[in-house]
Amino acid sequence: MKKKKQTERPKYNMLQNTAYIIGLSWKVRKSVVFICLATAGVAVATNLVELFFAPVVLGKVEVAAKFKDLVVAILVFAAALMVLAALKAYIEQNTRPGRSRVNQHMLKMVNRKAFVTSYPNVENPSSLNMFERAVRTVIYDYASVGAVWDILAKLSENIVGLIVYVMILSTLDPILMAVTTLTTVLAFVLTRRIYNWGFLHREEKSGYNRRMTYACQRGSDVALAKDIRIFRMRPWLEEFYQEAMRQFKAFALRRETIYIRADFLDIVLLLLRNGFAYAYLITMALKEGLPASEFLLYFTALNGFSTWISGILTNVLMLHRTSLEISVVREFLELSEPFLFEEGKPVTKDRLGAYEIQLKDVSYRYPGAQKDTIHNLNLTIRPGEKLAVVGLNGAGKTTLVKLICGFLDPTEGTVLLNGEDIRQFNRREYYELFSAVFQQFSTLEITLAENVAQSIDEIDMERVKQCIEKAGLTERVARMPKGYDTYIGRKVYEDGVELSGGETQRLMLARALYKDGKVIVLDEPTAALDPVAENDIYLKYNEMTAGRTSVYISHRLASTRFCDRIIFLAEGQITEEGTHESLMRLDGKYADLFRVQSKYYQEGGAADEA
Amino acid sequence: MKHKNQDKISVITVLKMHWRAFKLLDREAPLMFLGSFLHESMNALTPYVNVYFSALIINELAGDRNPEKLWKLVLITLIANAVAALIKAGAKCFKNWKHEGGWWQREKIYGDKLLSLDYCDVDDQRTHNLRSQVSQNDNLSQWGLYRIKIFFDQLTLSVFKIIGAVALSVSLFTLKVPEGAGVFTVLNHPLFLLGMVLALLCVTWLAPACSTKAGSYWVKTAEDMKQRNRISYFFGEEVSRDRNRDLDMRMYSQQDICERYYDTADIFGKKTAIVKAAAGPMGAWSALSAVFSTLLTGIIYLFVCLKAWAGAFGVGSVTQYIASVTALAQGLAMLLKNLGEMRNNAEFLKITYEYLDIPNKMYQGSLTTEKRVDRDYEVEFRDVSFKYPNTDTYALRHVSMKFKIGQRLAIVGMNGSGKTTFIKLLCRLYDPTEGEILLNGINIRKYQYDEYMSIFSVVFQDFKLLALPLGENVACSKDYDREKVTECLIKAGFGEKLKKMQDGIDTYLYKEFSNTGVSVSGGEAQIIAIARALYHDAPFMILDEPTAALDPIAEAEVYARFNEIASDKTTIYISHRLSSCRFCDEILVFDNGRIVQQGNHDTLVAVEDGKYHQLWHAQAQYYQK
Repeated sequence: MKKKKQTERPKYNMLQNTAYIIGLSWKVRKSVVFICLATAGVAVATNLVELFFAPVVLGKVEVAAKFKDLVVAILVFAAALMVLAALKAYIEQNTRPGRSRVNQHMLKMVNRKAFVTSYPNVENPSSLNMFERAVRTVIYDYASVGAVWDILAKLSENIVGLIVYVMILSTLDPILMAVTTLTTVLAFVLTRRIYNWGFLHREEKSGYNRRMTYACQRGSDVALAKDIRIFRMRPWLEEFYQEAMRQFKAFALRRETIYIRADFLDIVLLLLRNGFAYAYLITMALKEGLPASEFLLYFTALNGFSTWISGILTNVLMLHRTSLEISVVREFLELSEPFLFEEGKPVTKDRLGAYEIQLKDVSYRYPGAQKDTIHNLNLTIRPGEKLAVVGLNGAGKTTLVKLICGFLDPTEGTVLLNGEDIRQFNRREYYELFSAVFQQFSTLEITLAENVAQSIDEIDMERVKQCIEKAGLTERVARMPKGYDTYIGRKVYEDGVELSGGETQRLMLARALYKDGKVIVLDEPTAALDPVAENDIYLKYNEMTAGRTSVYISHRLASTRFCDRIIFLAEGQITEEGTHESLMRLDGKYADLFRVQSKYYQEGGAADEA
Repeated sequence: MKHKNQDKISVITVLKMHWRAFKLLDREAPLMFLGSFLHESMNALTPYVNVYFSALIINELAGDRNPEKLWKLVLITLIANAVAALIKAGAKCFKNWKHEGGWWQREKIYGDKLLSLDYCDVDDQRTHNLRSQVSQNDNLSQWGLYRIKIFFDQLTLSVFKIIGAVALSVSLFTLKVPEGAGVFTVLNHPLFLLGMVLALLCVTWLAPACSTKAGSYWVKTAEDMKQRNRISYFFGEEVSRDRNRDLDMRMYSQQDICERYYDTADIFGKKTAIVKAAAGPMGAWSALSAVFSTLLTGIIYLFVCLKAWAGAFGVGSVTQYIASVTALAQGLAMLLKNLGEMRNNAEFLKITYEYLDIPNKMYQGSLTTEKRVDRDYEVEFRDVSFKYPNTDTYALRHVSMKFKIGQRLAIVGMNGSGKTTFIKLLCRLYDPTEGEILLNGINIRKYQYDEYMSIFSVVFQDFKLLALPLGENVACSKDYDREKVTECLIKAGFGEKLKKMQDGIDTYLYKEFSNTGVSVSGGEAQIIAIARALYHDAPFMILDEPTAALDPIAEAEVYARFNEIASDKTTIYISHRLSSCRFCDEILVFDNGRIVQQGNHDTLVAVEDGKYHQLWHAQAQYYQK
């Protein structure tokens, strides 16, 4: 509840956010500020020259001034316009790069925060939502930094313009300015209210948009491409798209029939304003003999005056909207960290591998869940021990791993490293203790060697080669065009190499080995491997984990044979514990599971049962 | 790319390319262009209403100042302006309605291409590179197919602007300086008219030519930008948005690597070609272009004011002529600018069409696969070898085998031994490089493609479900046989879960399109995919690693149902879990793209130096006492 209120009211107001962007731009690229000032200056100057051009020249024609005067006046004005236009065009071409750099700087800040923030933050929908909004704000050059500077340039232009026009019009009856101001403000406020329909119906709109995007993008999914052809899914997809498009079109028509009211309103108010201006100025001309050129000047100035006012209103509104988004970016950057990092206690790295991890009365419940995923669990992983965690899908194995590795903090109880609560440590240093392969593994589109070493500059090539050898990838690397310098994946570098699922899993293993953490955590590391490769990993397991603590998670019970201790997890608790032999003797759930799995492997057996 | 740029595309080709773009979009989004036409023509014409009538007012003010006439003129001006604005508002409403959704209508054209391509081209990285290049051009700088909308808008606008301007400025040239003006009567000379027109054309050609020249730097740097964008997209957006990377990111402190790589993109960095161009030639050409367009303003003022000064017409007409000749110049400039940009755009359209014109190379026969009640389809591989396109190594070599009808066949082998490739050839997702595949003695290429496909139901390793209702997913159609869907789900083992679902088979899978959608686990999805294969009830049932995401209990359940699932179909089962071979009649052992062994479990396991023996014991040793 509290959180919701926070998102409704932005933490920073419009002025603070504007100042923030100005400050940031000043830091990253000073030219951005100067370009904005120049843009505004040129715009104001252009406007004034344009305003006076026609009336001054017409005045000369009207009073039949000297030929030379007329020509000089035209040439001066034209030259001024030319210089200003050239400046404007040149500045425009050079506006985007600087702003884009500031944007990129913000994107980097947002990404860094997303990369290093405490893990629970990236599992929390509300902070994820904040992240998504923040990214969307900073990836488009025109959305945040660009928008603020555009608005600032326009605002200064409008304000200076307004002041000048007030001076020009001050000789006239103030009622003219009053009527113009009133109709302009009224038009602005009332049309905003009409256009608010779009804002109120934005969810509906994005619903259609999501559907159409989904339908249009299915074709690029290579895996789905097979299913589409085998099961002849095209008509189904087509119907889905057409239905969404039909609804979206109906939505658009509904919206436009409402928006047209804003146009009607504008037309009526403009009619009133112009009617009043004509009435006043023509009366003035008839009664006081106002020359036609001055009539033109005042009439143009009144319209300009109205433009400045609505310009100011529009830009303030836009600045307000942009500010909301910038506030989200800043709030995301300042998102509080439940974990300690640099300010935490350093992890002592003295004794080699002598780390004991203890879970004490640990319970974990996902936010909003009805029951604990891990419930009152006690477990001590002794230094150098090889522990296997087995259990069915949904038993809580992955959550347990996340608790051990310090990605989640228990809802109740504590996780201790050598007797000390891990919450007080620098969490990044704590992660350094682990070499892990998770179920959701990922490669980066960087070179093979960099993927193994997870570093760009300090790569120990000898060690990379050893780890690749241990993971059984040497032969594959030999076939790569640039060996260890080959890029992995083809999303970024066209000469990259795509790895198969099994090869990627081996690469993940090599990466874990290179890191040489004191605790090895392997979560289903052989799922994508064939039997021989799987067996190969099993056989190397002892070698790989020599002198280290290891935790092996699997539902393939074969893997448990070479572990010192097996814990059987069910419904978030350890229900059975022991060695393979002792668990088989116990004849409980573990033994059941083992029998189910081994049934088809028994000589002679199962064939006829199936 | 460089090379292609050098030979310019001819004007005719440029126009033809855009005509094709027009037709493509027009078919996908009917009446969109009519909306553009109505709105833009009104956009162009409405300002002239005011120009014309206010000139009358000023002329009257500068002349007789007849109050009655003045007030009448004011009233007409106000009404005329309001009426024009009303028509414009109506046109805008229509246009916005017809234009909405255009972004997806374009996406649809691209998406449909991928849906209609031969699978081997969908699986080809080059297709996707081309596709993403098309998207990048479209979205980053709006070049390509969609640009035709901007062109159409602007061309309509400029043409009507020119028409209106000409109508309002003809009298500028026909009205003569009175004879008494002495030397200024020279302004009446037709050469002045010609000179004015030439100046107009020259300047309206020069200004856009310069701006096109400036724009061409984007084309020149497109290749350089492309690679920068790829780097920046992956390291700047994709990595941080991919939640599957969260654990690895922290465990391996990948943030610095990502940032370092992101920095190499250096988009708009001081030393990049585009930034240098903007500060140098590109900026200069833009500035020059602006100078030329304003130069014209000066010339117009000079000509018009001189004529007025010499007495050809009144002050009010000066405003009218200046406004309309300026608009004429703007119209011409816009026209030429867009024509120039069409030439630039043609380079991008070429890429778009290269993508849209990827041919369907697979030979499509015309034979029908008669629907045989007895399911008597006999498929045979005859000395089939296969290389993936653009690779040198054979994924399959000299494979010969025959399916026996109603047989349960298991395919085993190590990763990369050719198992899945074998399936892809069988389903004709690819054609063999050498050898042939026969259905009832006839090469499968001679059958109609769709018909041939329909004899297979496949659960691929990387199968996909859509975020649509469960029933539709099973049937792959909006309308379906509800009873049959339920039956198939139960048969596949989804019965228990189905009972718990609130909306039954109408329940949405995943949460994309429904808040009450159900996020099924990997194992549940696999079972739905099996039900989908069952629903289609094809004579061949192929299961590729169907239990990989299941835990042992769920896996055992699938095994137990296998008989029911397979029933009288010819079944092919691929698995790393060799235990599954026990209930298959025949086992094919693949190694390095060849079939190295064939037979049932008992015979194969007995061959001690055989591959099967090795695979079996690698696994079985842990389960045998």
